[in-house]
Amino acid sequence: MTRPNTGELQPEEAPGAELKSYAVGLLVSFLLSAGAFAAAFSELPTNWKVIIICLAALLQIMAHLRNFLHLNFSGGQSREDLLLVMFSVCLLVIMAGGTWYIMSDLSGRMHQNGADHAMERPAASQGL
Amino acid sequence: MSGQSSPTFGNLDWEVTPYTDLLEHVNSSTIIGAGAASVLVLGAFAGIALLTYMRWWKPLFRDWLTSADAKKIGIMYIALALVMMARGIIEGLVMRAHQATALGALDKAETGLVAPDHFAQLFSTHGTIMIFFVAMPLLIGLINFVLPQQLGARDMAFPVLNQVSLGLTAAGAGLVMVSLLIGDFGTGGWTMYPPYTGLDYSPGEGVDYWLWAILISGVGSTLTGMNFAVTIFKSRAPGMHLMRMPLFCWTSLCVAIMLIYAMPALTVSSAMLALDRYAGFHFFTNASGGNMMNYANIFWMFGHPEVYILILPAFGVFSEISSTYSGKRLYGYTSLVIASMSIAVVSFMVWLHHFFTMGQSAGVNIAFGIATMIIGIPTGVKIYDWMATMWRGRVRITAPVVYLVGFFLLFVIGGLSGIILANPSIDYQVHNTTFLVAHFHNVIIPGVLYGMLAGVHYWFPKAFGFRLDESWGRRTALLFVGGFIFTFMPLYVLGLMGLPRRSPTFQDPDFLPWMYIASFGAVLMLAALFCLLWTFWKSYRHRMSLSVPGGDPWNGSSLEWSTPAPVPEWTFASIPKVQARGDWGETKRAGDPWRAPDSYADIEMPANTAHGLIIAGMAFALGFAMVWHIWWLAALSFFAITAALIWRGMRVIEPRIIPARQVEEEDRRFREYVAGATPITRADEESERNRGVPDCSEFAG
Repeated sequence: MTRPNTGELQPEEAPGAELKSYAVGLLVSFLLSAGAFAAAFSELPTNWKVIIICLAALLQIMAHLRNFLHLNFSGGQSREDLLLVMFSVCLLVIMAGGTWYIMSDLSGRMHQNGADHAMERPAASQGL
Repeated sequence: MSGQSSPTFGNLDWEVTPYTDLLEHVNSSTIIGAGAASVLVLGAFAGIALLTYMRWWKPLFRDWLTSADAKKIGIMYIALALVMMARGIIEGLVMRAHQATALGALDKAETGLVAPDHFAQLFSTHGTIMIFFVAMPLLIGLINFVLPQQLGARDMAFPVLNQVSLGLTAAGAGLVMVSLLIGDFGTGGWTMYPPYTGLDYSPGEGVDYWLWAILISGVGSTLTGMNFAVTIFKSRAPGMHLMRMPLFCWTSLCVAIMLIYAMPALTVSSAMLALDRYAGFHFFTNASGGNMMNYANIFWMFGHPEVYILILPAFGVFSEISSTYSGKRLYGYTSLVIASMSIAVVSFMVWLHHFFTMGQSAGVNIAFGIATMIIGIPTGVKIYDWMATMWRGRVRITAPVVYLVGFFLLFVIGGLSGIILANPSIDYQVHNTTFLVAHFHNVIIPGVLYGMLAGVHYWFPKAFGFRLDESWGRRTALLFVGGFIFTFMPLYVLGLMGLPRRSPTFQDPDFLPWMYIASFGAVLMLAALFCLLWTFWKSYRHRMSLSVPGGDPWNGSSLEWSTPAPVPEWTFASIPKVQARGDWGETKRAGDPWRAPDSYADIEMPANTAHGLIIAGMAFALGFAMVWHIWWLAALSFFAITAALIWRGMRVIEPRIIPARQVEEEDRRFREYVAGATPITRADEESERNRGVPDCSEFAG
């Protein structure tokens, strides 16, 4: 009747296992971040750098979802979790895909490419 | 930025107030600027004096600012929105008055009430305030108040997070308010498109005020969205299946989803612009590989879902009131649910229509134009559903119904002008004119504003225990309808005649008659605002004769009407077991709805805390410090926020226990009152006999 709305520890869930999950998540996230920075400062070609950073980001998102947000596809809420992930992916694909579509079209019409920028960079840009 | 900044005060000095401008040049523009600042200062002093004189400081702190009760948080959101709305409407009036006097000549560009730069600040603050600090707090406040009650929950899933969200929104609103007195606001419109708002063209503090207000309140709104979603998914009463939820809960769910997925886009675009301005990045600059078009792209990825975030709660309100005030079941519940969800998803696929003319090829424009026209379909379905709900119902012309009818008439016009604009080839002709200004005011005012005010009127007795005066409520509604028609219909005409939006001057005398009509409309809007305040005041004066302790003044059918008015902190003496859609209505139909629960138990409620208040204060300090480059204060407040979060996370916090005896005592008193009161029919609803105990035999909903 009087189920509290404030947070309540689940007695059957051992705090040790939960702590371990968080610790693993933190470690994985740290390693992936370090990897992304290492790629950015490395001598690899730009395309490779971008791919590595994107991969590290995706993996890190998955680590966060799994270890910090306790998303899993086998427990009691697997169906809800799956729907949530699919919906998120759907919206993110719309946003990222739409951006790609719009910006590449604009870029094509403005005859932009990487080389132009490098040549047209003004000598004294007004930074801070 | 003049001179170098001091380590203690950053870029602040004594020259930043509008009084300096007034001392330098005395003209109508500087007088208005200094006048607005004076109103802010005097208003603040008057507020402090009132609180001190009435000895309200302690109750304000104990019962409101530190409360984690979603209902109180909702009321505070709405109060914040009404204060900001007063400023927004007055700014609108000043802009209309300016344009009515702005007929210039080519050799005499600067005419009219205010200077061009001042005019630009006016439309920028007006837009920012009305979207982020009026419409958003109104709808979030209303959802906070209503949602848990309709779901049969005691509170939001995360009560203290809720408090923090309110604090962050208030901090953002505070930043915009302070910009009246200290420094200038940005002049880039509410969207603040770079490169104009980049450091090269807008070096001052104005854009930074906008950025920090948006960044801070945006985090608050994202957190609110998560809170709503978790509440809907996890805190429903037993038996409250998703398809049994009242429609307002459904639209709240749509809003929650859109807040979660759309607000980050705004945070990202604002953060990128902030990096450009503070850290020498080149995301959106002209030079060094920046691409300012991506700002428009990311901004509107938020911006278009945002307009549906604004409108959907209003749709929820209209669903509730069209059913309740017609004494009928909501027509086409399932179709309304599907329509709401479709709007929520399709709204993520149309953002390009805000920048059809940016230069992409026709194919891209057409794709988004078609998506835009498609989103009109579910909205049309909804309008028909509400009309069918009212059809052959016993409609009472209460204030919310006046809003509803005004909404029907005007929103359809606004929606149709949107369909016109969805055609890229027409959009090319009228984009950036006042036709567009008329269009979006035509959907936002009859949609959001009417919906929210109707909702406030509808649920007011639940919050405070007395109804609002119906006559004054109807007068307010009619004034808002008339004010809207006179203000914005001329703008359609002016737009087609070629008047650019945001234009501080024009040279064609043919515009003038329409300008005068629009100014008259703005005066009506101001009158409507006063009328609204008068409604509150008059109803407060007559609160005894308007009181409805029975808690169900409109013979409603959703759960929130089963509790006393004003609703107790714990909302439900015992969590209801939901059997049907419109459960309270079904209980009434079965007879004896006010049966006491079999037993009472202790209730746990979240304890009061100053956590949200501390975070709000620190967030305001952080924003202000960043605007004025007071780095020590920025670092200090940032670490203070972090420390507050960690400190709260480390502590064990005991909930407050409300003993079963107290709950039982109050509940029994309520049940006895209801048993002793005379039930009234719908015909008597507006009379003093309405004590909130309706005649159940009349219930057909």
